[in-house]
This record gives sequence, structure tokens and C-alpha cells, in this order.
Amino acid sequence: MTATTMDGDERQETANARRTGRALIVAIHSATRAIKLYPPEHQAVQKALGDLSAAALESKSVDADLELRVHGEFIFVNGTRLRLDLSNYASFGRVLELFRSAGVGAVRVVHDATPREWFALLTLLATVGATPDGDADELARRLHAAGVEAFETSAHADEEVEIEEREAAKAAARRTYAQSVALTKDVINSVRMGRVPSARKIKRAVQTIVDEVLTEEGSLIGLTTLREYDEYTYTHSVNVCIFAVALGKRIGMTKLQLYELGVAALMHDIGKSRVPTDLLQKSTALEDDEWRRITAHPWLGMLTLFQLRGQQELPYRAMIVAHEHHMRRDFTGYPQVIRQRTIAMTSKIVAVADAYDAATSRRSYQTKPYPPSAVLQEMRDNPRRGLDPVVVKAFITLLGIYPSGTLVVLDTFELAVVLGANTNAEMLSRPRVVVVSDGRGNLLQPPIETDLASTGPDGQFARTIIKTADPDRYGIRVSDYII
Amino acid sequence: MPVSSTPAAGAPRAGADPLVTETLKTLARTVRSFQLYLPNNPMYVRALDSARAALVSLWGRFDSIEFGITETEFTHEDVPVLVESDRGGESLPWVFYKDGIRSFEIRKGFETRELARFLGALKTVRAQAGGDEDLVTLFWECDFEHLSYTYEEAGGDGFAAPGAELLRGGARPGSIDAPADNETDAGTYGAGASQFAKISDFDSTLYFLEEQEIAYLHQSVREDFGGDLRPSVIAALLDTFEAQSDPTVREEICGILENLLLLLLSGLQFRTAGYLIRECAAATSRAENVLPSHSQRLGELAEKVSDPATLNQLLDALEDAQLKSPQPDLVSMFTQLKPNALKPLVSHLVRSRNLELRAILEEAVTRLASANTVELMALIGSDDEAVSLEAMRRAGEVRSPAAVAPLSKSLDAASEISRAAAVAALAQIGSPGAMQALERGLEDSDRDIRLFVVNACAERQYRPVLARLERAIKDRLVRGGSSQEKTAFFDAYASLGGDGAVPLLESILVPRGLLARKEEPMTRASAAMALGKLGSERALEALRKALGDKDIVVRSAATRAMRGGE
Repeated sequence: MTATTMDGDERQETANARRTGRALIVAIHSATRAIKLYPPEHQAVQKALGDLSAAALESKSVDADLELRVHGEFIFVNGTRLRLDLSNYASFGRVLELFRSAGVGAVRVVHDATPREWFALLTLLATVGATPDGDADELARRLHAAGVEAFETSAHADEEVEIEEREAAKAAARRTYAQSVALTKDVINSVRMGRVPSARKIKRAVQTIVDEVLTEEGSLIGLTTLREYDEYTYTHSVNVCIFAVALGKRIGMTKLQLYELGVAALMHDIGKSRVPTDLLQKSTALEDDEWRRITAHPWLGMLTLFQLRGQQELPYRAMIVAHEHHMRRDFTGYPQVIRQRTIAMTSKIVAVADAYDAATSRRSYQTKPYPPSAVLQEMRDNPRRGLDPVVVKAFITLLGIYPSGTLVVLDTFELAVVLGANTNAEMLSRPRVVVVSDGRGNLLQPPIETDLASTGPDGQFARTIIKTADPDRYGIRVSDYII
Repeated sequence: MPVSSTPAAGAPRAGADPLVTETLKTLARTVRSFQLYLPNNPMYVRALDSARAALVSLWGRFDSIEFGITETEFTHEDVPVLVESDRGGESLPWVFYKDGIRSFEIRKGFETRELARFLGALKTVRAQAGGDEDLVTLFWECDFEHLSYTYEEAGGDGFAAPGAELLRGGARPGSIDAPADNETDAGTYGAGASQFAKISDFDSTLYFLEEQEIAYLHQSVREDFGGDLRPSVIAALLDTFEAQSDPTVREEICGILENLLLLLLSGLQFRTAGYLIRECAAATSRAENVLPSHSQRLGELAEKVSDPATLNQLLDALEDAQLKSPQPDLVSMFTQLKPNALKPLVSHLVRSRNLELRAILEEAVTRLASANTVELMALIGSDDEAVSLEAMRRAGEVRSPAAVAPLSKSLDAASEISRAAAVAALAQIGSPGAMQALERGLEDSDRDIRLFVVNACAERQYRPVLARLERAIKDRLVRGGSSQEKTAFFDAYASLGGDGAVPLLESILVPRGLLARKEEPMTRASAAMALGKLGSERALEALRKALGDKDIVVRSAATRAMRGGE
């Protein structure tokens, strides 16, 4: 039996810790930018450093201690994990990057640091990060040499431990994904056979997805690149659920809101279970009547959800999302709208996730999926798609300009598969990739994982994307490198 | 709760910590109380308090405590601390075990906000017979911060597979997984797209969300999760009803709407129920090729709500509810009620002690009564006197000529209250028919009713009543009454008869001839005052004759009447 880290009625304290922690990260980011742009004596730098000192003092006043620690994709301030959302993701990414590149896992503020000491820390973090052999020890040495004693630094967590954790997260994600696909299959087939699907199973599947996304969204998003042709109907629903929940998290939804959004996303195409399978899988052009039957799936979905068993309350949100997910902003989509309505934000999120996954997947009538980056570009630039531009923008910040699973050609003529968006929001076009072939086209064994935001000794980016490529043309199965 | 005999129920085994055992037993008792009593029951409150107290005493020695779960036992540090051998719905360990939960840990702070949620989840899962809820799902929804648990994923039958991998649920100490509820932070694809990277791809600022964009997203989420979703679903259902002419689809929608209405009413969602009824009417009138059966089913939704049996249940529930004005939801639903709702509404209105509800019912009854006079007339003849009186009052308010016949009939009622209500309503209606019926009231056995009627006739200048008035005066019907009644009749007679009334009033004031009967001084004084109010030359001339009367009361009345009644 161990003592817990939280005691008493500490909800308010935790909220305060998170608030001051977030303010501190934003202040570090602002100061770093000011230092990069202006000389030290510039008013902007002085103000940013003053703000940073004040933010640090406030954080200390909450916890009487101040430690910043980075682990994986997360930042902890005094042991409290800070939440990433739209209002702070740029700062988070930059600070994560700053620590990572310097090989620093944690910085502890041992006494109140002056603006001058903060200036030294941030400058040296950036300098050490740009040095090939730079690490936490080097940073400590340089801080000591500069007479700065306010900070204690420690190295980044053991790489092997991180790899183990990452592999464990991937394994959990694979299990979640497989279970969710099986569940979706069961639900859709139940409806097809006239049986009532189990609400409990749907809830469990979504709860697990929400847990995974909240813990480590990257692994689940990576799994969406699987896109098995035979299982499209089922994997599509799971993928849309994953994208929607991850986007909802980024937008700042609470856990229970994500849960409702996830159920709605998983069930958004349930109406297709009432459309003949041969029609869904038809590879040639649809007749008018066939098209009419296909476009009935949103309202059929809504009707079907009234049958869902075991609900304490009917799944109204899922019904609305099923009904609205093909509606355009100007209501020119389908189904027909007669009464005045406002399209729900949850429907807009699912619509974006649905459009993206559908276009990037191989289907009976789409034997060649569109490249993910082209799909995002189209979603962003073509208002006739009727998607909410702000939601699309938020979706791009989630996936990056080159989303996970995109095959790219680098300026080194190497081929690489995108693993995931860069945590540094300023580096959306420089994702984490796995280089799969060298500049002459030879497959690499093993492939090399790298961050396209990393720079060489000359301070230049080591690799840059010059174009996307068709994986089929190179005989590459992108999911092999992600999963 | 059936328990094993060895060891004795709840009895600690050797090595079991007595404090832990006692706490768990208290918790088990609280679970039962939660199941049995409603939240307003003192037993419920007491049980919750005792569980909280037990947990607080536990925190004197522990910061957190973990329990293992077997089919029949809760264990602490591998020692059984609660044993219930029956694998039925009543056994607490079994309730956890069957849903796959293999251990749970509670931490300091659990007792403040999360205990009630925990007990609620247990109540839900125990209350369902073969239902589709399980503890793991419910615990997840509870979003505990001070409780974590391990569980095995349930198989297809809902039971955990033996030896399955243990998963962890609930909050992990020190981790922050999600924002708290109170936080606010909160053509063809690629047709024209080049596969080559563009300069703009490297301008990440293009994708930074502006402050107002972030605010828009947050606001939209708040609106999405803060509003009522049902109207949107109903709108979608009825849009589909109108757009899809397939009778099978419409049949399915009719069934859904019927069930939905019941759900809305039982959930006290009156505004949405009102919206549903209103939009059903709009849908059937707009949609093309609607089968009569579908039109009838949707039309009957309003009838169903208005049905006295249904409506009475609703009104009884509302009577006990704490309503706060304004109640747009209720008003909205009541505007959809059909005429057959009038009787239960009126019946409830006259008895309701709930002031807020009365105000709402008043409005609804007024609307229905003015639009449905036939139903209102029927209520006038109700055996329930309170309902009948209210209906008469309403009939007067809406001035419905159709109410004259039943009101006239009510003038024969034995109850003076009913007759008084009838004459009041007839006077309010004021139509020729109503006034004709009202005349009968002049001969009512009740003085107040007679007074009311004569005043009403005078006020409305209803001259056809003159003959009856004159007869009443001549036949000395009035003269035996009180001075107030005499005054009222004489005044009304003068007011309606003008100079034509002078001879009769003069004959009462100044009797001529030796054999003429001299009325009582008060009667003559009343005649004098009536002549004074008439004030014509003929009337004054008659008054002058009485100025020298021997009777001081008469003389004085004539003098005052000459001065205009001063």
C-alpha cells in the first residue's frame, strides 16, 4: 500500500498547477522566440524574461517547488502532466523540441531564478541542442561556467525505457484497434441480420479508444494507415472514431465529451448496414436509384440508432452525427434539410474525419487512394466540399501537412514514410519519418527513423520533403513501417 | 444478503484488519441502502454519511487501500475481509467479479464526491435484470480520480475470460488524462494538386489557429454539449418523413415518434414534446402522398397527450414538482393540447395549490376555452361543481353566446353559488339572449342574486327588463325587501324608464286619495331618491310635492333628491 501523490480535496490545486504550468510553458516559448529575434538588451527580450520569471514564481507559489520534465510527447510541471490543446500546442511543441534537442529530460529550479539566469538557461539550451554531442551534462557544465546556479538539469529518460514504453503503447493500440474493428463488424452484421447490437460493447470499444488517445494518440493514428481493402467498411468507422476523438482532444473536449463524440463517430455509417452490400461494393458508376439508396444511409443510420439496446438514454448525439455527417455548410449535401437546423460541431468533426479517411482509403470504386497530403490540401482549399474550414485547419495541425502514412521523396532523393506530425507546431511540414530507401532507390534494412526538423552541424535541415509519391509505384506498403 | 457460514458473514478472518473489515461492511450496507431508498429518504442519507465517516476513519491510517476480488470475497493484503458466498445479484463481490473487475483501489478524497457516483453505478448494474450495462463501462463514465481498478475484458457473453490480461481503469495517481469539466481551455481530391512540396507547405503559420478560431471551436463545443439534442433529432426525423415517401420508412418513423413522445413526457421534456406535436402536424400537412393511417397516427399524438388519463398523470406529477416561473417548456407543450384536455386542465386548475402551475394552467385553459366553446359548454353542466363554476367563469370571460343555454339552465340549480356564477357569466356575455336569460334572476330566491341582476340590467341599459321591473315594483315584490334592494330596483326602474317611470315612482312617493295606500317611509324615500337621480322636470315636479310631507324621512329624502342626492 503506497501513499498517493494527491491528497485531500485537491481538484482546485491541480487545476491551479495546470494553469500556472501552462503559463510557464507559454512564457518559456515567448522568451525563446524573443531571444532568437532580438539582442539581449532589447526591450522585447527583457519583457519576455521578466514575464518568465514571474510565471516561474507563480508556479513555485502553487507547489513550493518547480521542476519541468519532458517524457515522450508530454510535459510535466511538478509531476502534473500538462494538457495540449489548440491554445498552447505551438508553445508545447517548441519547448519539447528545445529540451529534446539538448538531451535534457528535466530542469529543476532550485532557487528563484533571475531574468538573467533564465536568459542563460534558454540560450544554452538552444546552443547545446545545436551541438552534436550536446547533452544535459554539457548544459550543466556551461551553466556552472556562466555562474548560473539556479537550475539543476538531468538527462533525458533512458532511451531504451522510452522505446519499451513506445512499443508497449503500440501493442496496446494494436489490441484496441483490432478489438474495435471486430466490434464494428459485429455491430454492422448484427443490424444486417436484423439483430439489435449491444450498446455495452460499443461503449467499451469507444472508452478504450478514448483512453488510448488520451494517453498516446500517435500509436492509434498510425494504425489508421492500415486501410485494409477487404475490411474497409469496418476499419473506416474505427479510423473515423480515432481521428474524431484525437481532433476532439486537440479542440479541448473533456473525457466524457470525447466519449460521446467517439460513439457518434464509430456509429456514423451504421445506416450503411441497411444498404445492400453489393451496392456498397459496386465498382462501376451508380444509377440514379442506386445513388439515392446510398445517400439514404445518413437518415437510415439515425433510424437504426433508435434500436440500440441497453441505452439508459437514446444516443441522440450519435443520431445527429449519423444524420448530418454528409451535410455541407450550405446544406447542399444530403440528406435534404427542411427544418431550420445548425450543424453540430461533433458532426463537423466527424465529417472532416470521414472525408479524410474515405479519400485516403482503397475502396471498391476507388482502387487508387488519394495521397493524404493532397486530400488535406483539397479539404482546406475547396469550399465546395462544404467542410468547416476551422475544423479542417485544426485537423491539419493534428496530422501535419504530410500526415502519417504519406510516402515522401526527400531532397536527398531518399524515400520516407511519414510516422507522425512534428510536436513542434512551427514544423508542421517537417514530420517524423522513417527513411525506407537510400538516394539510389535501395531499400534500407533496417529503415532509419528521423525527425525532419533536426538540423545538421551547419544549422541547416538535414532533409526536406520535395514531393509526395505513390506507394504503389514503389511497391511500398506504408503500414509496414508504422505498425 | 446470503453469506457463507465459514467464516461468519463479514467476520474478519485471522489477520484481517478490523478497521478495514468494518469499513467494507459499512460500505456494503450503504450499497444496499442506496438500492432500497430514494435520495430524500433519511435512511439513504444516513447510510451515505456512515460510509463517508467510515472512509474518513480509514484515512487516519491509510492514504489509499486496495481490495482484491474473487467470486465470493473482497480481500485486503490477501486476507478475506468480506465474504458473501452466494453468486447472485445480491452478492457484492460477485457483482464486481462477473463484470471482470479483479481489484480496486480507493484513495483519500474518494468519499467527498465520488462515493455517490460509485454507489450509483453499483445500483444501476444491480438493478438491471439481464441488462446491457456493466461495471467497467459505468466506472469509466464515472471518471473517477480517487478510484482505480483492474479488470479482465469481458467476453461475448459479458463475462470475463479466466486468465485474461488484466487492464487498468480509473485515474492513476498523479496522472492528468483529460481536461476537467470545469476547464474551458479549453471534384476529386488532388485534382489540381501537385505532388511537389510548395513554399506555402513550409509556412506553418498558415495553419496556426487564430484566437477567434479557437474561441469559435470552444464555443461550438460548449453549445453542442450544453443544449438539448432532442429537437434536432425530431427535426431530422420529420424532415425524413416529409422527404421520403416510402410508406415503410414513414411507418418506422411514426413508431419512433410515438415512443419518443412518451419518453419526453416521462422525462418532463415538455417543450420538446410540444415541438414534436406541432411539427408532426406541419409534416402531415406538407408532405406529399401521406397515407391516411400515417396522418392519423401523427395527428393522434396530440390527442394522446390531451387524453384525460395521460394528462392527469402529468398534472399530478407537476403538482408535486418545484416549478419556477417562467416555464416556457410547459407553456409550449400546453399550447399543443387538444379540446379534450380542457376538462382535466380545468379540474386540476380549481384544485391546484401550486401557484406556478396554476398560472400556467390558467393561461392554457383560457386559450383552450376561447377556441373550444363546445367543450367549455359541456363543462358548465359538469357534476363537479368546482369544474362547473370555473367553466361558467370562463364562459363569461370569453363572452360566448353559445354558453347562454347551459348558463340559463344553471339558473335552476339548487346551489346559490352556481346560480350566482351563472348570472355573473350571463351579465358578462351581455348578448340579447344572455340578458333575456338574466332577467329570470330578478325573481331569484336569493337577494344578492336579485341585486346583482337588477344592477347588471341598469348598467347595461337593458330596457326590455322594464316590464318585469315594473311588475316587481307594482306587485310589491320588492317592497318587502331591504332598503338596499328597494333602492336598487327603483334606481334601475328610473334609469331604464326615464320620464315613463315617474308616474309609478310618484304614486309610491306621494299617494293620492284618501284610500290610497301609503307605503312605508323608507320605501317612499327610496322612490324619492330614484326620482332625484332621474332629475328630469317631471321627476322634480313629483319631488316638490313631497317637500311638505309630514314624514320627516320622506321630506328629508325629497329635499336631498332635489339637491341631486346630497
